[in-house]
Parts: sequence; C-alpha cells; structure tokens
Amino acid sequence: MAELSDKAREEFFSEAQEIIETLSRNLLSLDTTIKAGTSDPSLINEAFRAVHTLKGLAGLFGAARLGALSHRLEDVLDDLRLGRIELGQEVLDVLFGAVEAYTRILQAEKADSDEELDVEQLFVDLERIGASATEHESPVAGYELDPGLLAVLTEYEEHRLRANIELQMQLYRLRVQFDLSTIDKVLEEMKERAKRHGEIITYLPTGEATSADTIELDLLMASRDDLATLIGSLGADNVVIEEIPRRARHSATPGTLPPRRPTALGRTDSTGMHGDLERGGLDQAVSLRSLTQTVRVDIRKLDHLMNIVGELAIVRSALGRVAEKLRGEGQRKLAAELQRLHRNFDRRLGEMQDGILEVRMVPLGQVFDRLARVVRQISREVGKEIRLVITGAETEIDKLIVEELSDPLMHMIRNAIDHGIEVGQRRVEVGKPLAGTIALNAFQKGNHVMIEVEDDGRGIDLTGLTEKAITLGKLSRSEAQEMSRDEVLALIFLPGLSTRQVADDVSGRGVGMDIVKTNISKLGGVIDVHSESGIGTKMTITLPITLAIVSALLIQAGQHTLAIPLSSVSEAIAFDEAAVRLVDGREVITLRGQTLPLCRLDRLMALEPAPNLASRRRFVVVAALGQRRLGLVVDFLYGQEDIVIKPLGKSLSAVRGFAGATELGDQRVGLVLDAAGLIEEALAGLDAPRNLERASG
Amino acid sequence: MANLTQSTASRLARRIGDRGPVREFLMFALAGELYGVELTRIKEILSPPPITVVPRAPHNVIGVCSVRGLLVTVLDLRRTLNLEERTLTRRGRILLGAAESGEVIGLLVDEVKHVVRLAANEIEPAATALGGDVSEFVMGIGRPAGEFLILLDLPSIVSG
Repeated sequence: MAELSDKAREEFFSEAQEIIETLSRNLLSLDTTIKAGTSDPSLINEAFRAVHTLKGLAGLFGAARLGALSHRLEDVLDDLRLGRIELGQEVLDVLFGAVEAYTRILQAEKADSDEELDVEQLFVDLERIGASATEHESPVAGYELDPGLLAVLTEYEEHRLRANIELQMQLYRLRVQFDLSTIDKVLEEMKERAKRHGEIITYLPTGEATSADTIELDLLMASRDDLATLIGSLGADNVVIEEIPRRARHSATPGTLPPRRPTALGRTDSTGMHGDLERGGLDQAVSLRSLTQTVRVDIRKLDHLMNIVGELAIVRSALGRVAEKLRGEGQRKLAAELQRLHRNFDRRLGEMQDGILEVRMVPLGQVFDRLARVVRQISREVGKEIRLVITGAETEIDKLIVEELSDPLMHMIRNAIDHGIEVGQRRVEVGKPLAGTIALNAFQKGNHVMIEVEDDGRGIDLTGLTEKAITLGKLSRSEAQEMSRDEVLALIFLPGLSTRQVADDVSGRGVGMDIVKTNISKLGGVIDVHSESGIGTKMTITLPITLAIVSALLIQAGQHTLAIPLSSVSEAIAFDEAAVRLVDGREVITLRGQTLPLCRLDRLMALEPAPNLASRRRFVVVAALGQRRLGLVVDFLYGQEDIVIKPLGKSLSAVRGFAGATELGDQRVGLVLDAAGLIEEALAGLDAPRNLERASG
Repeated sequence: MANLTQSTASRLARRIGDRGPVREFLMFALAGELYGVELTRIKEILSPPPITVVPRAPHNVIGVCSVRGLLVTVLDLRRTLNLEERTLTRRGRILLGAAESGEVIGLLVDEVKHVVRLAANEIEPAATALGGDVSEFVMGIGRPAGEFLILLDLPSIVSG
C-alpha cells in the first residue's frame, strides 16, 4: 500500500469494512428475494454502488488487489443490474465468494502482507459469469418513442425500460409544468404517487417552459393501468398524460437503441437538476464522501478516557472525604460549599461515564449479519434448507464483546445446522417443515445481554452423548446412571465430545463446544443448553453489557479487599455457620427452600486470615450466572462501587479466579473476582466434569 | 540528570577510546551482592507503592500495584534468583521494565546504587566466567574498577 498516515489507513480500512458489510447485507436480501421468487432491482443497484465506491476508495489508497477485485465485480454487477445476466443461486455463490475474498484482502492489507491470496478461482468464476452476458434485442423499438429521449437514457434506465416492456406494461408520457422553486419536492411526490401504478423511468426537460420560473419535464412512465386511471390519479392542471402508442409491426426499426450522446442535454443544463452530470457523474463524486456524520475512534482511546473517568472517581471520593473532615472540624459553611461542588462533580462525572459507555456500544446486528452469511454458505454446502430468523439485532453491547462473539456464535450455528437440523426428507417424515429454522434472538435483561441460538432439529441425543462420554473414559456407567438430565446435557461442553461418529468439514471433530464455553467465560458470560428430543435445541448465552466499567460489590476475604461484579451477584445474606450442611463432602445451605452450594473464599484461595475480623459476623454473597448459583462466604461487605477493571498482566494469565484488578483509592489495588470462573471451579464437582479428575488421574 | 549522564558518557567514551563500545548499567544491591541491568531497559525507579498480593500467582510474583493508573506486576527478584527472602527496608525500590508482551513489570530490589559504564572488555560473558550451567537470567559478570557486578538479562527475567 502507498505511504499513508496511520490515521488515514485506519479510516480507509474501517470505511472499506463498512462498505463490504453493506454489500454483504444486500446480497443476503437478494438471496431472500430470489427464494421468494421476486426481484428487487434497487438491491442490485445498491450492491453495484457499494462496489463502485470501494473501487474508488481502493484507487485513492493504492490498494491494488482490492481495486482489481472491485473492478471485475463491478462489471458483473453492472451486467446484473442491466439484466444482461440472470441472477441465480450460482451467481450469488460467486458474489458471496467475493465478499469473503474482500475480507481476506483487507486483512492482508492491514497486516501489510503481500502474501498470495488464493482468489484466482474467484476471478475465473467472475469472468465466466461475465462472459454469459447477453445483449437483448431491443423490444423498445416497438414503441413510438422520441429518439432524442432514447439517446439520453442511462444504461440503467434503458434496462428498466426494457424490463417494463417485457412485463407487458404500457408506456405513458407525462408532460408536467413544475415551479422551479419547488420542483425537487413535487417531483419526488409525483414519483411516489406513480409507484402505485408503475414506475417513472426517466424525466427530461422539454425546453419549452412557459415562464422563467417554471420548467416543463417529460416523464416517461411505465404502468399496468390504463390512461383513464392515471389521469384520475396523477392528472392536474399542470400535467398532461399521453399514452405512447405501439408501433405497427412492419415499421419497427431493427437493431438496438441509438448510440448514447453524453452531451445530449446541453441546451438545458443551466437548470442544474438533470443531465448526465446529475444522474451519473455527480453520483460518483458524492459516493466517495462519507455519508454519515460520524467519526471512527480506536477503542483504546475510549479505554483511555474510561481510565481517566476511573481516576476522577477516585478524586471524587477524596473530595467527599475532605468535605466530611471539614464538617467534623466545625467548618460548616466551607463543608457545605464543598459538598455542593462534590455533588455537582459527581453528577457530571456520571454523565461523562454514561456518554463514553454509550459510544462503545454497537448493535449485535454487526455480528448477526456475518452469521447470516455463514448460515447461507453452510446450508448450501450440506444441502439442508435453512431459514434464519433474527430478532433483536438492534440490541447493543460493548464493541469489544461483539468482536469476541462472532467465533463462538458461528460455531454454535454450525453445530445447529450440522448436528441439529435433520436432512430434508427426514424432516418431512416426522411432520416438520422441509426448511429447518434457526432462530438467533438477542435481548437485554437488566445489565445483561442474552443471546439465544435455537434450532428446530432433532435435539441432543442424550443416550449417544452419555455413551460417548463413557467410551472416552470421562464417565463410568454407574455415574452416568445417577446423572440428571441437565448434567448429561452439560457433557457437550467437555473437550472431545461430539455425538457425530464421523468428523466432517462443518463442525469438525467436536472440539467446538468446550472452546465456545471458554471464550464466553472469558467475556464474563455463561452458556446454558436446553434440548428436547425431536423438538430442538436452545443455547442461551448470558453476557455483561460492557467490560469497561462495572458496578461491583466490595468485600473483605481474609486480608484481601476484593470486588465482585454486581452483575453476577443476586443477593448477600448473613452467614449462619450452624445452618451449614455437608452433602457428599460439600458445604451447602438452604436458601428459600433451595440448596445453595458454598465456597469459602479464604480457603479456596488460601488467603491469610484476617484476625481482627475472625470473631465478627460473616456474610454469604450469592453469585448467580445463568442457572448456576454459588454462595461465597466472605468476612465483610463494604458496599457498592463503580470500578474500572484492568486486566492482569500476561505473567498472571494462568491465575484462575480473577477477572482483573481495579484501583480502590489511596493508591491501593483490589483484585476483581471472576464470578463465572469461580462458579465453574467450585461447582466442578456438582456438574458433569466431576469425573474428569478420576478418569485422567 | 539526563544531560549530565550523556556528557559524562561521551567524555568517558573519548577517554576509553579503543576499549570497545560502552554500555550503561544500573547497579543495585540484592541479598548482599551487587547486580546490574542495562539502563536502557529500565523505564523508571519507584519507591514501592502498596502492593496487592495476588493469591495463586507464580512463586516469584509478589502481586500487583498501580503506577499512575497503570497496572504493574511486581516480581520479587530474590525469589526469581532463588536468594533468601527478607523483608524490605526503606531503601527498597521497584525497577520498572517492559516485557515483550507490553506488560509492565516491576522488579523489587533491596537498594539502588548508581549507574556504571562498562566497556566491552570489562564484561565477562556468563558462559566464560561461570561455565555452561549458569542461569538464563545472568548475562555476564561486570568488573568496573575493583567491583564485582552480576549482570542480569532483563528480558529473560520479565518474560520468564
């Protein structure tokens, strides 16, 4: 790539990325319309524009590979929108291939790598599609159209004209007087009203304005309705509608349209609202500019701002303490003044924090779009028809989480298609619709975001799963018999388990779900699975909304001050040593009729005891994630605080149980407990993996 | 300070002339011995802030502390080098260095002395001086005028 500032490069990449995502969305919509047996010319047109813009961008930034692909793709899309190529699944496959290739090229450019990307086959495919383009014989010749009009049609308009004629539409000419000051609005309204009857293909000034303030346009319209209906609907004092008569067969001029004359409209160009510049040239100039009023920001900069907010929060607490101190020393007036400032500061800081958090939020739709592409691709590969239903794509979540979600979700969807959804014939036999449905639902619940991946397939084969676990030595037969249904389901998260006997391309060898689970836990989330034999499987991911700043409960355990993210705390109760029962060597208490397993933090972490607190009353903090609950026995509760979590360094990455550290004020650092990890660790014996140690040791 | 060091260094370089390139080492004390690490590897010298012990951490990690909002992992150099442990005195300092991963690492030492300049011929490579079996953390022995300095390889310590 040419020499560029880092900032410009970043801009280029994110803009290119956005355009590619738009393209991908367009193709997906096209896929849907084709399946529904309809077509939407505006979608192809949009895809064409996206690629065209990308080509321009690539040219500006000297990204040759990107430019080359865009160039070929543009040709094919142009043929498509002009109807020279029929849009079918095969063509779409190649177009989706191009989207993948774009992504790879962008990654290579980003890494400044000149590595050979395997896009030859794609180019061959694009070439092949392009070669199949056919020039239609012009049906337009069958109408008494003004050759002057035909000469200035853009290629696209020409295509629309042909398409309409092929659909047996009647052509009309609307001669309309417009007031120059309101023409934009009125013309748009006119187009809108015309949609009910057909389509306005083009408009041209007649050059016969009656006064200096008006302009007369000829609108070429195609409609299925007759003249009387149109006059009734669109007619007015300033509108004259005429039908364009068909030519008698014998006088039809053979051949194609007259050659295009780029300057055909020169004589009326002074009005500035039509002509080649307006419809073609200006379009291209505009599309190179950013359309939205947005700035792209490196997320690290937001992290930095959030850190500063964290530091300010510490200053705020110090201010509060000073105010208290002043009051204690009898300086009431000064104390009250400081208190007021402190409250004001507090409020503004809160707003600032919310503002920064809001900026970090992105809709899940970003990752869902990518998944929709994957679904389409896999369903074609394995020959199963899949209907993907997405709800809640607008649900917002931290940008960093979104980035990390796409792999786990992709894997779950692959599993659903491959293992879940039955082959078509089988589905029909059991009375299900031929097309399998995968639902991807997202919604916010408190300060969590839930994402469900649900399929209407055969459900998880519990017997098969248990057998496999026994065969792999993860479980003994007698243990298997004692397991509850949920425990058996949890087996799918064990490494190496897959109910499929033969490994395949799609879901691989069953290495997936344990990795999915690990990745989700890294984000502070949990995954639950429900499955009904013959009805389907539903996986639910529960995630925190943001990783940047969290409300946390500060506690004391041993000599440590620790923070637990409030999002994973359901309640805190006083600890009654006498109520503890031992079940199978594990401490539990009963909380509102339900068994709650206990975990003594000081013992689990081998913390040094806090002598001054030993005689005091202790507490149980109930950590809950998804359906799992764990009671953490702690020495003291300090209360709630908003904290900025900083990750522990790489040399501490192997340390389990902590999500990071945070500043507590007066220079001290507190560790933040990883609730998901702790629950996992402490409940390891209650869940299925209890037997792992026995089996491997 | 920086100017002074530089001008001293260049004066020195002129004086020693042909004794090979000169490198600057920060000298510090640890369990009664003198050690040195290359000055360019050290970002900052701190009086130890409160350090939060991290349970379950590797043996040579004391814990974490915050330096102006930056989270620092603090290593006990005594433990890393298998020296006897002792509580810190008020002379104890933390040397800040960066690991390749970008993680900022603090090394706890007993006392910081001063900067010494060693020409190439004043450094014995570890293998020559101590035989092949020497710890990966020691890069050599420095012998500035009458002193004995164990030179440590900071990158292998902070990445270990």
